[in-house]
Amino acid sequence: MTDYGQDLLFGTFITPTAQPAHQAVELAVVADRAGLDLATFQDHPYLPKFHDTWTLLSYAAARTSTIRLSGNVLSLPLRQPAVLARSHASLDRLTGGRIELGLGAGAFWDGIEAMGARRLTAGQSVDALGEAIEVIRAVWAAGEPGPVHVPGEYYQVDGLKRGPAPAHDMSIWVGAYKPRMLRLIGRAADGVLPSLSYLAGGPGDYAEINRHIDGSAAEAGRDPARIRRLLNINGTFSQFGRSFLDGPAEQWAEDLAGLALEHGISAFILATDDPAAIEEFAADVAPAVRELVAAERA
Amino acid sequence: MTHRLRFGALVTSVAGARRAEELGYDLVAVPDTPDTDTWTLLAWIAGHTERIGLAATGLDVAQREPAVLARAAASLDLLSGGRLDLALTGDHLGEVTAIVRGVLDAGVPGPLRHLGAHHRVPKAQRGPLPAHRIPIWLTGADPDSLRLAGSTADAWVADLALIDAAELAAAYKMIDEAAAEAGREPEEIRRILIIGPGLGPDELLALGADTFLVDAGDPPPLTPWQTLREAPGPAVFRPASVRAKRRPGIDYDAIPASLAGTAVEPGDLDYARVRSTYMRGGSPGLVLRPRTTAEVVDALAVVRAHPGVPFGLRSAGHGVSGRSTNDGGIVISLAAMNTVEILDKSRRLIRVGPGARWMDVARAIGPHGWALSSGDYGGVGVGGLATAGGVGWLARKHGLTIDHLHAVEVVLADGTVVRASAGENTDLFWAVRGAGANFGVVTSFEFEVYEVGDVGFAQLVVAADDPADLLVKWGRAIEAAPRDVSGQLIMGPPRPGQPAFAQLMAVVDNDDPETIIDQLQPIAAVAPLYQQQVTLTPYTAVISNAADGGYHQGAGEPISRSGLIEHLTPAFARAVAELLDSGAVHWFQIRTVGGAVADVPAGETAYAHRDANFSVIVMGADKQRVDAAWAGLQPHFQGLYLSFETGLSSVEDAFPPATLARLRDLKHRYDPDNLFRDNFNIKAATR
Ligand SMILES: Cc1cc2nc3c(=O)[nH]c(=O)nc-3n(C[C@H](O)[C@H](O)[C@H](O)COP(=O)(O)OP(=O)(O)OC[C@H]3O[C@@H](n4cnc5c(N)ncnc54)[C@H](O)[C@@H]3O)c2cc1C
Repeated sequence: MTDYGQDLLFGTFITPTAQPAHQAVELAVVADRAGLDLATFQDHPYLPKFHDTWTLLSYAAARTSTIRLSGNVLSLPLRQPAVLARSHASLDRLTGGRIELGLGAGAFWDGIEAMGARRLTAGQSVDALGEAIEVIRAVWAAGEPGPVHVPGEYYQVDGLKRGPAPAHDMSIWVGAYKPRMLRLIGRAADGVLPSLSYLAGGPGDYAEINRHIDGSAAEAGRDPARIRRLLNINGTFSQFGRSFLDGPAEQWAEDLAGLALEHGISAFILATDDPAAIEEFAADVAPAVRELVAAERA
Repeated sequence: MTHRLRFGALVTSVAGARRAEELGYDLVAVPDTPDTDTWTLLAWIAGHTERIGLAATGLDVAQREPAVLARAAASLDLLSGGRLDLALTGDHLGEVTAIVRGVLDAGVPGPLRHLGAHHRVPKAQRGPLPAHRIPIWLTGADPDSLRLAGSTADAWVADLALIDAAELAAAYKMIDEAAAEAGREPEEIRRILIIGPGLGPDELLALGADTFLVDAGDPPPLTPWQTLREAPGPAVFRPASVRAKRRPGIDYDAIPASLAGTAVEPGDLDYARVRSTYMRGGSPGLVLRPRTTAEVVDALAVVRAHPGVPFGLRSAGHGVSGRSTNDGGIVISLAAMNTVEILDKSRRLIRVGPGARWMDVARAIGPHGWALSSGDYGGVGVGGLATAGGVGWLARKHGLTIDHLHAVEVVLADGTVVRASAGENTDLFWAVRGAGANFGVVTSFEFEVYEVGDVGFAQLVVAADDPADLLVKWGRAIEAAPRDVSGQLIMGPPRPGQPAFAQLMAVVDNDDPETIIDQLQPIAAVAPLYQQQVTLTPYTAVISNAADGGYHQGAGEPISRSGLIEHLTPAFARAVAELLDSGAVHWFQIRTVGGAVADVPAGETAYAHRDANFSVIVMGADKQRVDAAWAGLQPHFQGLYLSFETGLSSVEDAFPPATLARLRDLKHRYDPDNLFRDNFNIKAATR
């Protein structure tokens, strides 16, 4: 049993489809009204069927009122770290602190290369991500003296003016599965954000994820309990419980509470474009999971 | 003046942008500020405003891959409803502009490849297609920048705080020269000028710019410049490069003002959205997009003025024969006439525009507990289907779509607008219900719809090792089923190494689960079941099976054959088995007709093959092979349904002799010059 005791977050993982142009925004509005904590969008800048995720996210932020928003996750190879830092901090200030930074080292390298960016190996992309986090945090540290200096191998920032600082202590959540990236998260990031459908061994694989992060956090002198464990999930609401996340809301609540208590997962992000599922998740699943987890923690 | 004068305000907040919007400014521009990312602020402002144009005074192109910047621009343009202008600053702007335009030009085939000295984009997919052609602004008063602006930009920006009137005039002159050198007209480049608040109208006019961005903290009222704002400009300005793509034989300058603003020609960005249909690729020379009946009258006048030019009439572009597009001709697209209104609740009377899709209709009337059987696909348009027949999910219970038509408004070939119903213009009303495409543009349809509760929707997959046996049994079972049940069967060619299967679908118009299962049982029993799914669901959910948004990207020539048949006899079934074996068709489908469809006497509507219980359709790629295979089925048919046929010469099969004779007489009366000829053209009787 691993439970880091973090408050629980419930969110949606919305397809950033460009056609119809407002579908994704409308789903974010549904999630906002339903009282979910997070609206997130994937980022595949090489695919024209999708919106540019950052533009969509900024626009959706303007159309919502309380929900927090993030990329899930933004493709670092096609987004410069200093620009990521400034744009996230800007939007965080405009929204009064509703933005988090979801970041990924890049998947689908053929697409990335086709757009004009450099192809990196898996190992290189971990190092690049580490440098990017360094740049981002340095830009955000508006109060520190002097400009930003990160003489990295992948990113060279020399003399960039710092700031703006985000309106709140913005988290950097990283999409990750493999040990090297997980150890980087333990050292430098604020959360890990994998998708359940990519965990070959199912939710049980989270134990491995935690082991790497916790170990490296401890080595770096960081408190593992402050690193959030997030999870993209998908499932079906159906009348009769059949399997994991396929059944009525009560069964979902038990399934997710189990993950929270067993693996310390504290953010569940439902991949769906169905407004009814978003509403059911917010109304019937989220409060029930919170209740089950609170009872167990008490 | 080529452009209407525009006024914008420099703003750095939503409050400022909203104020500008209230005051009637045309656009707001966000200047570069050290503390906010410009693009983020622009998107944030877009989300907080409704109408006003959006720009930045200059986005540093070093901050994003140009191809990513282009997609971001397309997104913001789509999200904001076509309000974006894109102002760029930085290095290598010629290359950046080329990449941005290349990505935005989603109608151009193939990926974008740009291998420049400073930027390399090996093969980016193009798109998304923005809502409008996003103007690209460039800046910089040095000769290189001016030359670039003249040769490539849509606009050039200067700041009157940094340049005086004489320098400005010189700069404009250089832009004009560079434009001329590049084969462009100087008017193609808009002149945007940042000004302080104090200048009067005459001073502004003397500067020669056409867009003024007022830099004044809080946007001031526009009153001092009111006279300038009222001066009219042309509806659309098309640069020479766009006009160069025009097709011969079309008098583009004669398009009436009512249609000019929405018309699309080959060089326009929107052309990608309107050129093709669902089934067929096209390259029309002009697409007219009327929004009202009066505009349809205007559009038909344009068509009449172009006697030799092909003419296609389009509602939602799902015509199987694909004649609602053409090559080099005129298309009238009724997509904008897509309203669904409830006319009389107690009589369940609705009025629908031709451009509405059937899932739009279902969604609008579903909440009242009503439905109207149309076809099996929600993307299909009202205009094409409701002038031909309408073989839908509830056909056996409720008949064809046209059987519930109450009245139509039609614009005739000579431009007259008439109403036809059981009581007025009865001949025309008869003809419209089955052969409407030959008689006019139907601009509205009034239907009397009916109550439909939740329905049973079954999707089964069954073994088809013996397709002939399956067909005969399925045919018998579904003919014997109560009229609640309508359905279809789909098969493909045999695939080596895989068991043959058929998809059976059925809708049961009954909301009692036990009755649904009872009624489906005999159908499910015709062959071993591989898969089954039966749900109780609103009719609206069954028909909402087309994606929203998007546009047709059909390519090539469809080949489809239709036949109507009374019973699926063993002899017919054997012929089908041979047809499937031939591999000539990739799609074989039978829909049920019969039931209530057959209650209507054959002479009552121009759709006359009322005895048929089944509508058969095949599609293939090679016309000769399809026809050879289809020949074996032909003797069994009693006619065809023109909505599923691409062989346009088969009017004799579409209409029985008596029907065709009457149609020819009426064609002579209503369209003697044969204006309406795109689809299954009926020859006027000669007198
Ligand atoms: C995927 C798919 C599924 C289908 N399923 C069914 C089905 O289940 N049952 C069925 O009955 N049909 C079905 N159809 C056929 C469909 O009904 C016809 O193709 C119909 O013409 C499409 O209407 P549209 O307005 O979308 O087509 P368009 O391509 O816009 O128009 C087709 C033709 O109709 C004529 N026309 C269009 N608008 C008007 C108007 N306002 N006034 C006069 N004439 C007009 C024109 O001659 C035009 O060429 C299907 C078609 C497709 C592509």
